[in-house]
Amino acid sequence: MANKIFDRDTLLDLTVNVVPLFIIAFFVVAFAVLSPFGIDPLASSIQFGLLAVPFVLLAILTYFAGRAVAGSEQSGEVYLPGQAGVRGAKPLEEDHGPAAIDPESTDDAPEVEGDGEDDADGDAEDDADGDAEDDADGDAEDDADTKDA
Amino acid sequence: MEVNGQLALTVLMGLFLVAVAAWLARVENWRSYTPVAGGGAFGQKDSYGSEEKPSGVIRWLTTVDHKDIGILYGAYGLIAFAVGGLMVVVMRIELIDPGMSLISNTFYNSLLTSHGITMLFLFGTPIIAAFSNYLVPLLIGADDMAFPRINAIAFWLLPPAALLIWAGFFPLPDVIPAQTAWTMYTPLSTGAGAGNQANAGVDLMLLGLHLSGVSATMGAINFIATIFTERGDDVSWANLDIFSWTILTQSGLILFAFPLLGSAIVMLLFDRNFGTAFFSGEGGAILWQHLFWFFGHPEVYILVLPPMGIVSYVIPRFSGRRLFGFKFVVYSTLAIGVLSFGVWAHHMFATGMDPRLRASFMAVSLAIAIPSAVKTFNWITTMWNGRVRLTTPMLFSVGFVSNFIIGGVTGVFLASIPVDLVLHDTYYVVGHFHYVVMGAIAFAGFSGLYYWFPLYTGRMYQKTLGKAHFWLSMIGTNITFFAMILLGYGGMPRRYATFLPQFATLHQLATVGALLLLVGQIIFVWNFVQSWLEGPEIEDGDPWNLRQSGLYTAEWDWFDQKQQTAIADGGDPDDETALTDGGHVDEPADDRSDA
Amino acid sequence: MDAEPGLSEQYRMASPWPLFIALGIPIAELGILFSLFPIAVGGLLLFGGSVAGMATESGYAKTPWRGLIGVAAPLAVLGLAFMFTRIGLPNRGLAIVAAAVILVAAGVAGMLFSPDREPTY
Repeated sequence: MANKIFDRDTLLDLTVNVVPLFIIAFFVVAFAVLSPFGIDPLASSIQFGLLAVPFVLLAILTYFAGRAVAGSEQSGEVYLPGQAGVRGAKPLEEDHGPAAIDPESTDDAPEVEGDGEDDADGDAEDDADGDAEDDADGDAEDDADTKDA
Repeated sequence: MEVNGQLALTVLMGLFLVAVAAWLARVENWRSYTPVAGGGAFGQKDSYGSEEKPSGVIRWLTTVDHKDIGILYGAYGLIAFAVGGLMVVVMRIELIDPGMSLISNTFYNSLLTSHGITMLFLFGTPIIAAFSNYLVPLLIGADDMAFPRINAIAFWLLPPAALLIWAGFFPLPDVIPAQTAWTMYTPLSTGAGAGNQANAGVDLMLLGLHLSGVSATMGAINFIATIFTERGDDVSWANLDIFSWTILTQSGLILFAFPLLGSAIVMLLFDRNFGTAFFSGEGGAILWQHLFWFFGHPEVYILVLPPMGIVSYVIPRFSGRRLFGFKFVVYSTLAIGVLSFGVWAHHMFATGMDPRLRASFMAVSLAIAIPSAVKTFNWITTMWNGRVRLTTPMLFSVGFVSNFIIGGVTGVFLASIPVDLVLHDTYYVVGHFHYVVMGAIAFAGFSGLYYWFPLYTGRMYQKTLGKAHFWLSMIGTNITFFAMILLGYGGMPRRYATFLPQFATLHQLATVGALLLLVGQIIFVWNFVQSWLEGPEIEDGDPWNLRQSGLYTAEWDWFDQKQQTAIADGGDPDDETALTDGGHVDEPADDRSDA
Repeated sequence: MDAEPGLSEQYRMASPWPLFIALGIPIAELGILFSLFPIAVGGLLLFGGSVAGMATESGYAKTPWRGLIGVAAPLAVLGLAFMFTRIGLPNRGLAIVAAAVILVAAGVAGMLFSPDREPTY
């Protein structure tokens, strides 16, 4: 079960929390080996407790968060974050670019409003291309990014 | 006298209760009121919102609608921001001159205390709650918060909290403002010694702080319940947006941190009024520091995580691409949440605690820098090669990243014990955390206020004024707080109303920066109020052209539905629109800038 | 967003109680802290009454009367503890107990004398 959920992509995502875990582990070893201030039963146990408790809690939380996210990726549709509630939103498909929004719905938004009017007209036509390029880059660089984002 | 006073109070209290009861009996009629079950289009409650809510002031006093409460939080936060900002303007003007010139040293201490508490508890937390109340239910597809009434209670605790915290400044007999600094270190705050901090003003401030903590805790429980249980069918953990993730983490932090502050404050109040000795006995001072900072450091992340969520949300919209490494940002948010409880004593490196413990706190403090750095890289990478549109919200978000890097890097140095022992209690620390709270947190707040301005007002702000606000804030922030970092390198201790003449130039520079900030915020207020009242109306649900790049999100979809429903109903009979811009919004700034 | 359109139609967008719960708490705190008897009692009454009212309004109780007694019980315990344990704050304890007694009296009176009518919602 666990291995099914924690596939390669998910493990790659979770590396972001492995780094601080590694730093803490590094200091645990360093303080154990070097112990520049000597070992005192009370102070040393608090010292290592202060490192161990965040380490354990972070590992647990990372595990459960990863399981929740990866599990719901497998069991349900995956949309762009914040887009699941949009009418006509289409789920992302694996290893596929964006275009998560129903193209028809873009038709009723011809007007350009707000701050970005400087370049919006020119960019409107370029959008499809620009996005495709961006996402191709993303895919190539980082598999993990493809599915989740 | 004693008896008369009691009698008068009793009569007043009785009259008040009778008035409340009478008023409640009048609105009792509401009980019979059932909303028109007319099946408003798309099931949006807002489509018939105006019929359902009472009108006028009563609506705002009695609302349990998450959007109204969000607006109330926002208004409250901005008023508190103005108060706290004006306080610091007075302080900065005093600091032009090395000696005591404009205000007395004790009044400076009072302002310093109130400025900190106001900005952190009355501006920072509520302005975040403004965004989360308004947006989280929309983003996750919930009808409302899980406990709408508790939501309202949480908000209404805040105005009394503010009045109590500021009570010392009001012309009350025998009440003076607290001068304990926002950290309320004992034994000063227990009222011990020959000082004047045994005054009731300090008790009132502590009560107000306690109330704001109760309010934050109620809100946090509500958000946790909402995000766990009220998500729409399609909104799974994998689809949850980044802002809701940060709010969820923040709420978890609040749940563990604020009750501790509340308990510590109650203990402090007992020390002050009922003769206990939690913090006045031996070891009491260090006990207070531990309790306070066990709350206080998570509080930093309580304040910064949701702004990070806003920035993570806004930057991709104006970069034309998705957030780079979305899950990295999510998991690093959770990591910050956990680790933030393991670093509190890095505020206490100079207290002489056991060096072994100090070393552990340093280790975790260094580890927590990683998730923050991960986010920073993700923001930069999102913009990299993107089609960046430098709208006002985007400018503020980029400003956030810039200032956060300076604030964060200075913080990493402070996390190192040897550096901290040199820089402890200097202006370096003040510069560091102001880069984060003003340069980052407030900037993200502005970013969100501008980004969602069309959403909650239905109008567009004035572009030129928005950019002026940004540049004045950006330049002002960097002048003010970089000068403080340099002052700290020079050894200028914090919290003092007077200083040695050798620091005068940098202090004057910081004051100039603060005045630039003041001008910027005045522009902001003008822009905000005037645009809300008479800005050009938005007529389409996608004011930022997000559909084109496939980055359209649920809250704008809700807005779009609302707009369409309003049009179907005949819309607001608002003649101004036609006069303003002919019903088309293209150049809001140019329309308004000559007004 | 477009899921479950039916739920929100039943949903009330306004309630008079939260404001008074929120007012009751600081008033009671001030009264108890500074030993201002009427303020403490009044704040607790405001708080307790509003809690009972809100419980009724939101459908957790059919009438507010039992809610009043429910709020009074922990107050009575707290007040008695203030009066008779080592805490030793008899005046403040008395205020809390007084508020509890009034709440109970109101609850009992309500149960006995209020006209039996169906809730109107």
